[in-house]
Amino acid sequence: MAADAVFRQEFPLKGGNFAKAGAVALLIKDLLKDMGLDTKTIRRAAIASYEAEMNVIMYAWEGRVSLAVTPREVQITFDDKGPGIADIELAMTEGYSTATPEMRELGFGAGMGLPNIKRSADVFHIDSQSGRGTRLEIIIRTNGHET
Amino acid sequence: MKEKPYHSIHITKDKCIGCVHCLTACPTKAIRVKDGKAQIINDLCIDCGECLRACPYDAVHSHTTSFAALDAFEYKVAIPSTVLYGQFGGSTLPTEILSALRRIGFDEVYDLSSICELNNAATEEYLNEHPRPRPFITSTCPVVIRLIQQRYPALCGQILPIEPPREIAAKILRTILPKSLNIAPEKIGIIHLTPCSAKMVSINSPATMNKSYIDGAISIRDIYPQILNAIGKNQEDALMRHLFPETQFSGIGMGWSLSGGETRGLKNHRAVAVSGVRDTMRVLDHVEAGLLQDIDLLECTVCPDGCVGGPLEVENRFLAKSRILQLVAAAGERAVVDPKDVSRLYHKNFLSFDHPLTPVESHPLDADPARAIEKAQRREKVFTKLPRKDCGACGAPDCRTLADDIVRGLARLDDCPFVNKEKR
Repeated sequence: MAADAVFRQEFPLKGGNFAKAGAVALLIKDLLKDMGLDTKTIRRAAIASYEAEMNVIMYAWEGRVSLAVTPREVQITFDDKGPGIADIELAMTEGYSTATPEMRELGFGAGMGLPNIKRSADVFHIDSQSGRGTRLEIIIRTNGHET
Repeated sequence: MKEKPYHSIHITKDKCIGCVHCLTACPTKAIRVKDGKAQIINDLCIDCGECLRACPYDAVHSHTTSFAALDAFEYKVAIPSTVLYGQFGGSTLPTEILSALRRIGFDEVYDLSSICELNNAATEEYLNEHPRPRPFITSTCPVVIRLIQQRYPALCGQILPIEPPREIAAKILRTILPKSLNIAPEKIGIIHLTPCSAKMVSINSPATMNKSYIDGAISIRDIYPQILNAIGKNQEDALMRHLFPETQFSGIGMGWSLSGGETRGLKNHRAVAVSGVRDTMRVLDHVEAGLLQDIDLLECTVCPDGCVGGPLEVENRFLAKSRILQLVAAAGERAVVDPKDVSRLYHKNFLSFDHPLTPVESHPLDADPARAIEKAQRREKVFTKLPRKDCGACGAPDCRTLADDIVRGLARLDDCPFVNKEKR
């Protein structure tokens, strides 16, 4: 394990920055392609990181994405300072959303964000403190499969 | 089995002065300037023609069929892109253009607007029968096909597997003409007239067919003077042909070459049209991230405004578009194809791909994942040493690409003139 090659990079995110929406997910996708991961893993990572990035942009004030890649897994952590999620279980319900009409107009807020992220990941861990922020950690294994 | 991929775009070394116009224009970063000349990296090139548009020195050339090469065929058939109808000013009738083509040496000329309508009906039926995945992506633009094979491998299965109008038209003619003319199939030449720099790619190395049904593609730019000359000579005949037409132009198919034209005729599906290579890539990035799933059909054409913005046309695309819109308005919603007949061809798989679209080999930083990961990390370090001016002086289009070339062993840090200066 210790001898494993690992790629690490961090990306800052700014809440409300819709102009750059999806930019980090795209960078992650291109990095994973350059690292030669398989198409399926890349697509799962792209879908999950796009949704998670949008959550930070839509709801939080600022955030940070940490990417760690080894030949066996992709670990992506989203840390944000923001309002947090009051009821995680409710937020995980398909179709549940607190998106504003403006967000919905942009095609977001279908209430599929978190469930989609969970479906794309092998490991999904979310922690949130109301009024403080949210930490979402996902792992996608390169030999894993969509659940 | 492994063939070298065919490319239509080439650099004429004698004309290239090694400037940076094409470097920055290339959307896939496939060009480097080495030893004072631009070079194309074949594995990255998608034959979009952006370099051809950008080159001020006419040093980028797109390979197309020459008119003289048609002499090899006993019977010559032209299937012009509907873009051709927009090339000759505001009052030239499509029939005039088609008769001019006969006059300059084609034995037969077929209008493609009806086949565009046919394709539309088949697309509608395919979408009805296949509720998933979403969105499907149209197969018309050969550059989009190559782009998806190369950069969006996960989307290969989302190309709507019906061949584009030009190939369907050629397949129909290839089926019926040898019998009706009693001429051997190989003696009949079916030639597409096109504003596209990539049609020769789809003809010479088709992505979803065993073999293309088209024998060659002549660029509109090359054949334009002859057509123009012939149009002047037979206006009266053309008018009569127009008033007593042998060809029924389709209102639904006529605007096919304009962005949104492929999807305009769809009745029951939600479609989105994108044009321009960079915008196409932006939208495909979104599709790959799982977005646009509420859209049934995504029309992508890499030329601005659709095929009407092809690099090998003559008329500027705004005038051409205006003329085509006039023709679309004149033809109205006129349908010339019965969807029931299309359905019969469709269910015989006459319109389908021969085989599914598959990704082309990708080029990670290293074949070994652990080493590729190390190189990715090293690339970030190299990048921090570069000035981020993206000037192109090193021969790569931007600093990030130079960093990439360096870890791949294709360039050196001191290729950067700014890094050099600091050392001295």
